[in-house]
Amino acid sequence: MNLALKDAAHTPMRFVLTAFGVALLMTAVIGMTGLYRGVVGDALLVIERIDADLWVVQGERAGPFAEGSAVAPDMDRRVAGVPGVADVRRFTQFSQQFAFEGATRRATITGADIPADDGRWLALAAGRWLAAGRCEAVADESTGLAVSDWVELARDVYEIVGSTRHMVDSAGDGLLFVGINDATAIAQKRTSEAIYLARAARGTGEFAGAGSSVAQESKIAAVLVRLAPAADAANVIATIERWGDVRVLTTQQQRDLMLNARLWKLRLQILAFTGLILLITAIVVSLIVYTMTLEKLYEIALLKLIGARESVVATMIGQQAGLIGLIGLAGFLLSIGAAELVFPLFPRRVVILAGDLALLGLALLGLALALICAAAAWIGIARASRVNAREVLA
Amino acid sequence: MSPPVILSARGLARHYAGPAGLVRALDGISLDIQAGELVGIFGPSGSGKSTFLMLAGLLETPSAGEVWLAGERVSQPGTDLDRLREVRRQKIGFVFQKANLIPFLTAAENVALSLELVDVAPAPVLAHGCRLLAALDLSHRADSLPARLSGGEQQRVAVARALANSPPLILADEPTAALDSVRGRQVMQLFRRIAASRGTAVAVVTHDTRSADLFDRRVHLEDGRLATRRQE
Repeated sequence: MNLALKDAAHTPMRFVLTAFGVALLMTAVIGMTGLYRGVVGDALLVIERIDADLWVVQGERAGPFAEGSAVAPDMDRRVAGVPGVADVRRFTQFSQQFAFEGATRRATITGADIPADDGRWLALAAGRWLAAGRCEAVADESTGLAVSDWVELARDVYEIVGSTRHMVDSAGDGLLFVGINDATAIAQKRTSEAIYLARAARGTGEFAGAGSSVAQESKIAAVLVRLAPAADAANVIATIERWGDVRVLTTQQQRDLMLNARLWKLRLQILAFTGLILLITAIVVSLIVYTMTLEKLYEIALLKLIGARESVVATMIGQQAGLIGLIGLAGFLLSIGAAELVFPLFPRRVVILAGDLALLGLALLGLALALICAAAAWIGIARASRVNAREVLA
Repeated sequence: MSPPVILSARGLARHYAGPAGLVRALDGISLDIQAGELVGIFGPSGSGKSTFLMLAGLLETPSAGEVWLAGERVSQPGTDLDRLREVRRQKIGFVFQKANLIPFLTAAENVALSLELVDVAPAPVLAHGCRLLAALDLSHRADSLPARLSGGEQQRVAVARALANSPPLILADEPTAALDSVRGRQVMQLFRRIAASRGTAVAVVTHDTRSADLFDRRVHLEDGRLATRRQE
């Protein structure tokens, strides 16, 4: 007679609620893991997809993502002349608020060097890539803009000619692609008074860019370099850096800077929360097994009174722990369903990878849950072994 | 030829160290109960009735004296109680004031559990449980959970459980205390029937004198000693 199963059948709602509780905790674990994946994925999106071998950025800086960066507007022509360079593109990216349909929206303006940048590196969900010289934009769906919408940026009105899906920056703001010259114009938007004061300063030779080789009004953050097939990257980097006013970063360095500098604390925090939820899950599951044992102390005493061997009691507690393990499995399956349903509604992208689920399933259920249940069962059995048959008569 | 002695308590004593000195809960009781005999153990609170039941039921070891079961010495000072679990399982059936049924098992399963503990296969065990319940007029309640049974029915299921592995001795601790007089008498009649028909030795600790006529013998305890012994 499987006493644990009989008990479960007697009070099924308690076990169903336990499964739901475990499912919610595991949904949170899947969510945190997925959020981590999403944040990393979003942050690396441009770096990995834009198809650049080298990033030429402002000297002594780690731009354009980990630090601010501004290079001379003609830097692309200088870099293009370096032996081993196949092609170059100017790049800029900055956050922008704008009004649309009476509401304030946010987007990350990304300047694409048209026509050198043919947009091959991104997948359009609708419409087309930038074709005209000016005042066209491709917007990510998360900005709330759709193809054929018109939106005012700086002092110009842009037509949305294409849209993308899930293309956001590390902060989760949707990308809005415009031509590099448009991006510069948007970034340089100033009030009339500011323009007047700048002109006055230039007249006295006291403008802010004095002492710098980079024009301070330059909004070009980096020059993207694709190397010729036979080019030696180290030589190209050494040649460019010898100029002294720029720094050259490889794509791998950009990845490292993004993950280990800019996103380090966020990643650590998400992982800490994931660990915390796992710990809470472990404690909850342990408590459930232990509480179920405590609830049965009277029955255990009775079993001992009528002569049950310790192994009978231990088996019952073990079966109970096994049942909790099965409930954990059910909870995990429920949590996958819940995650698929709920997380698409979240503001940040939550990436649920089959590999992560398999790892979670294996690590969390196969190993952690088994260990937790075994440990809790062991504690329960130790407690049950102290139960005296006389307690029935008390 | 007289029936064999099933329970034999010889000079049984149980002493505790209390704040006011040594407490003699049981002080040298000798008592034999034969097969088929129904013995009532009476006495006021604190007279040592329950202590006697603990010692006879092998739930405690005596400070002095011995307990013999079916001709075998099973307990004396220093005996390992865990080792006696096997003896309890094979030779003693317990009935308590409360039925103490396992709430998530049906009446038949509660009865069958005793047999499963002695490694009898589940299917015949359940059939045997149902037969026992039928013998106690409870066949219609075999599939009911304890919560759905009346107090009297629960107590009869408890009796059936005590009988399941046909122990030679049944020890009952105030089995009618929670029942009205009619149900209480029914349970006592049940013990009477079991003792007569199965040859089981039954010792019932009770305050209830309403069914005193059913006992073969009444034993009175007072201050841990046998006060009077009356043969009905």
